[in-house]
Amino acid sequence: MTAALFRFELAGARRARVAILFAAGFAIVGIGVALAGLSAGGVLSVQGFARTSMSLLQLVLWVVPMLALLTGAAAGSELRDLEFIAALPISRGSRVLSRWAALTATLGGAVALGLGAAGAIIAAMAGSADGWRYLRLALVSELLLGATLAVGLLIGVVAANRTRALGIAMAAWFVLVIGMDLAVIALLSALPAKGAGSWLTAVLLANPVDSARVLGLSLFQVDAIAGPTGAALRRVLGGWGAGVLLLGLLGWTVVPLVVAAKGLRRGQG
Amino acid sequence: MIRLRGLGHSYDTHRVLENFTLDVAAGEVVALVGPNGAGKSTVLRLATGGLLVEEGAVEIGGFDLATRPIDARRRLGYLPQKLGVSLSTVVSDLARLVAAARGVSAVQAFDALGDAGLGARLDATLGELSGGQRQRVLLVLASLGPVAVLLLDEPAISLDADGSADVQAIICRARDEGTAVLFASHHLVDVATLADRMVVLVGGHPVAQGSVAELVAEGGQHWTGLGAPPIEAAYRAIVTRARGGQDRGRAPLALVGARTA
Repeated sequence: MTAALFRFELAGARRARVAILFAAGFAIVGIGVALAGLSAGGVLSVQGFARTSMSLLQLVLWVVPMLALLTGAAAGSELRDLEFIAALPISRGSRVLSRWAALTATLGGAVALGLGAAGAIIAAMAGSADGWRYLRLALVSELLLGATLAVGLLIGVVAANRTRALGIAMAAWFVLVIGMDLAVIALLSALPAKGAGSWLTAVLLANPVDSARVLGLSLFQVDAIAGPTGAALRRVLGGWGAGVLLLGLLGWTVVPLVVAAKGLRRGQG
Repeated sequence: MIRLRGLGHSYDTHRVLENFTLDVAAGEVVALVGPNGAGKSTVLRLATGGLLVEEGAVEIGGFDLATRPIDARRRLGYLPQKLGVSLSTVVSDLARLVAAARGVSAVQAFDALGDAGLGARLDATLGELSGGQRQRVLLVLASLGPVAVLLLDEPAISLDADGSADVQAIICRARDEGTAVLFASHHLVDVATLADRMVVLVGGHPVAQGSVAELVAEGGQHWTGLGAPPIEAAYRAIVTRARGGQDRGRAPLALVGARTA
């Protein structure tokens, strides 16, 4: 039954135009970023994977959560209205999980397609050196997509209606992408330097976008690029940092889905 | 069969249903009638689990909806008043899902849709169908397979004469197959034709129930049993009296034909 429901949700998700826009947008931006770096010098050439990945990281951190939160909120809100489906012998958990999995597969496929198209052009024109960084950037994008889609679904399920869900999703995007960083800057400047490390770790885990940001930065010898900040980051996270952040992102995926399944029962209709 | 016990519900602070109890036996057709906002759709949504049952209990085919929701819904068919499915859903995709949920083959679902004259629209989305075709698709799929309880909310809404006849045929077939049917409708003539029993809801309270003949008598109308029953006049009298309107001098209605507790 769960497989049948997943196929049903996947068919619905694949018909949505947002996936095509997602793929085309990432392909165009990826190629554009690869071309843009050196064109200022008067010579149009393609940047390699390392510099393109670094440039794309910030874009991923802004665009992926926005689209995932909005798409998830709309999909979660719709889940409440599908009374015909809700009357079938399918658990709420299966309905939430199937919808999340179908959206993640579709949008994740679109991201992979978009970044992959850009990557193929970069590889052909600038060589495949540092291609692994680009692949890991794609993986971080997928993890962030899955986590923020889950948060968006939860918002959609618990919000009173679709309009409110989309509004809350936009507010959540602002908090996760910008607001929390501002709050962290203020917090760390107010705290004594000794205790700041543990606070920073907690804040990184408390925000999936920051977790993805640090995972992304870890691709680029962050000590060298980000100077003392990068060195501090490595010290705070220690050797297990990447694993902890991955678990954090997994938690940001699983917990919202579980809460959404419970919320769907209460808020149905 | 389906058993509804002491159901109550509020939307925020607005009380819409109070202590509603009803049994519908296998092979019985019961109609819920009443003015807009009387609580008919709320009863059906509580019975499917579409609304969380916080007061009372629902039992479908011997399974409690609160504790065994999947077992309870395994043999339940439901046609909601609102579409209840995304307009971008392709008919064949929905048919496959419902078939898997009911344990029948997709071919059986396609055949059932074909029998309802929808065989050529399997690849269309629900949004591409007319309102009547959409209603027929959902009605056919709601009653697909071994359904023991069929709940229909305004099944003939937006249907033409042929579509209404299809609804009547589906309800009659379900009854003949031993399915318990509970439906809400404003079409009193259809109700009088199809229902073994009617329940009149006003302001969230069941104010009368019984066979057509019993309700006609309760509404102060005379009917010999020949020709069409004066059900609309009887219904208006019952509703008006329940609201404390024109017949204020009369005694409150008693529940008639009480097959419920």
